[in-house]
Amino acid sequence: MPKLTIDGKEIEVEAGTNLIEAARRLGIEVPHYCYHPGLSIAGQCRLCMVDIEKTPRPSIACNTQAADGMVVHTDTERVRDTRRSIMEFHLINHPLDCPVCDQAGECWLQIYYMKHGLYDPRMTDEKVHKPKAVPLGPHVMLDAERCILCSRCVRFCDEITGTGELGIFHRGDHSEIGLFPGRDLVNNYSGNVVDICPVGALTDRDFRFQVRVWYLDAARSICTGCARGCNIDVHVNRRRPHHAEGKRVARLKPRFNADVNAWWLCDVGRYHYDFVDAPTRLTAPVRRNNAGTAEIAWDEAVSGVAEALRRYSPDQVGVLASPRMANEDLLALRRVLEARAMRQVAYDVPPPALAEGDDFLLRSDRAPNRRGAELIGLGGDTGGLMASARAGRLKCLWVFHHDLLASGWPAADVRQALDRVETLIFTGTNANAISERAQWVLPAAAWVEREGTFTNFEGRVQRFRSAVEPLGQALPEWDLLGRIVAALGGTPAGGRAELWFRELVRTVPAFAGLSYQAIGDHGQLIPGATSAGAPTPPGRRVKVHG
Amino acid sequence: MTATRTIVFSPDQLAEVRRLQGLYPDKRGALLPVLHMAQDAFDYVSLEVQEYVAGLFDMAPSHVHEVVTFYTLYFQQPKGRHVVAVCHNLSCYLAGSREILAHVKQRLGIGVGETTDDGRVTLQSVECLCACEAAPMMQVDDRYELNLTPEKVDRILGELR
Repeated sequence: MPKLTIDGKEIEVEAGTNLIEAARRLGIEVPHYCYHPGLSIAGQCRLCMVDIEKTPRPSIACNTQAADGMVVHTDTERVRDTRRSIMEFHLINHPLDCPVCDQAGECWLQIYYMKHGLYDPRMTDEKVHKPKAVPLGPHVMLDAERCILCSRCVRFCDEITGTGELGIFHRGDHSEIGLFPGRDLVNNYSGNVVDICPVGALTDRDFRFQVRVWYLDAARSICTGCARGCNIDVHVNRRRPHHAEGKRVARLKPRFNADVNAWWLCDVGRYHYDFVDAPTRLTAPVRRNNAGTAEIAWDEAVSGVAEALRRYSPDQVGVLASPRMANEDLLALRRVLEARAMRQVAYDVPPPALAEGDDFLLRSDRAPNRRGAELIGLGGDTGGLMASARAGRLKCLWVFHHDLLASGWPAADVRQALDRVETLIFTGTNANAISERAQWVLPAAAWVEREGTFTNFEGRVQRFRSAVEPLGQALPEWDLLGRIVAALGGTPAGGRAELWFRELVRTVPAFAGLSYQAIGDHGQLIPGATSAGAPTPPGRRVKVHG
Repeated sequence: MTATRTIVFSPDQLAEVRRLQGLYPDKRGALLPVLHMAQDAFDYVSLEVQEYVAGLFDMAPSHVHEVVTFYTLYFQQPKGRHVVAVCHNLSCYLAGSREILAHVKQRLGIGVGETTDDGRVTLQSVECLCACEAAPMMQVDDRYELNLTPEKVDRILGELR
């Protein structure tokens, strides 16, 4: 393994490591645009110049591999001078429209110019004008004037998705990125080109003009779009609510996890958060009876639901849990069931149409925690449960999240079942046809409003953290279920998600040995599970040499 | 100029494509000559032709489009029977290419990038063609016309049918 010196510090790295990565390990940032660890090396932007002793001229760090005895300087006067000159080139035709650019605040042109800029520009010629505000597809907007032609997006479409939509057309200062005329950027991963664009050339149509990025806060989280559980950051706007008409979740961004999603996130997951700030959110417990529909306090709702559960014999109560619930919630639900020795529980409600997975990250199972529901023992005969409801054997049905009337079951069957049930209880984040007719509605906090864990399809338990407060009086499900456990005479695990997780680890062998601490930011496999790691992208790197 | 034509190479042309592709370690190396073949066969490289060629190379059409837009000798629109390319680079400019180009435009009644109504000539204004010793000059199809004067231009243009 080569041992080299960078800015006076020695480091040993694996053979083949380039100088940007070697420096990064020492905490030294070599400015760059076109280099991305998930893509091939293009050597296009020329910004990552460093001085290497015994080399006559500065070299690009991205395409220089560490060699034994190499002595590298990343911050000499000559390097700084080179960066200034390179950036002068990048900005020749750049419109400098930061005040109206979504990228402002997280733009690498801005960031590096602050450090390395030539503050007295010398260009007097007219700038070359290029297409602006061009929709490239459903999610991405192009401003060709802001582009510095780093080619990351082009390489992404070639090497990761293998769809090759984007290219660099024309030449010289007329070069611009674009699509083959008449085609669109429609692949399942198009949002990623916005993430990797170092400047404001590619912006997200969903996020465009919603809020300035410096007003955003972030929380580490897990995508709920499918069973993979891609790692994400949830970006929320709490400080300027008027910027987006009260929409708190501004966007989801992928977070690197080598074992799950690498740097990427599919569009299905990326845009799967509208329900959090939708007008359909349930914000207060509701009781519905002959006297009408009333919002009530939690205490009343909890005792009312506990009383309803007590009123019936255990075999008269059916529970439809949801694979969208966190592990902590599922355990709390199990405790509720145990408190009354109820056995009729299931979580598998057939979707109206089978979702399709793809050849990369997206799984056909669109729920984040089916594995958890199964391991925590809430699996059961869903069809049988519905059949007994239709036959009138169930007096009480408790539905979590599902809209049974929009499921794969015939609506007539569902209606028949619901008609024969005396007491219908609904727990979920948003109103649906079930909550509209339920006698008791218990509003649940959305995943971005609370802590918890999901178990992905491989058995990797991953933590999500709270990004915003729950809307209205909505509570995390472990919390509202814990209150019902107490009302039924049991002892809830505690007032924090972590305490429920500890009880899960203590009582469900499948989770033995896990802890929030060990799960950390990258997740932890349950005992006996193996991970294939992040899948290999369907695209391919085009070999230029050999 | 055929209005509609099926964009397919003949078996002989396809054999030539395969021969050209075999000459390079990566068959994409043959893209330029194959695009020229396509331009000869289909008059110009329309988007449809670009997609057809992309298929022959297992490439995304966007990458064929990159190449077509990079070079000036590929025509994306129907071109005239003859292409006149007047050099506007330094040596020719100093030797009067501006007047020569103005004269050509006036004689043909078209601007740069345009084609005469009768489909006879397409006019281009181009960078250096490496004949500075005989400036001003222009290229007419595959032929260099050197040391131009307005009278010489009249004679050359007059001979184009």
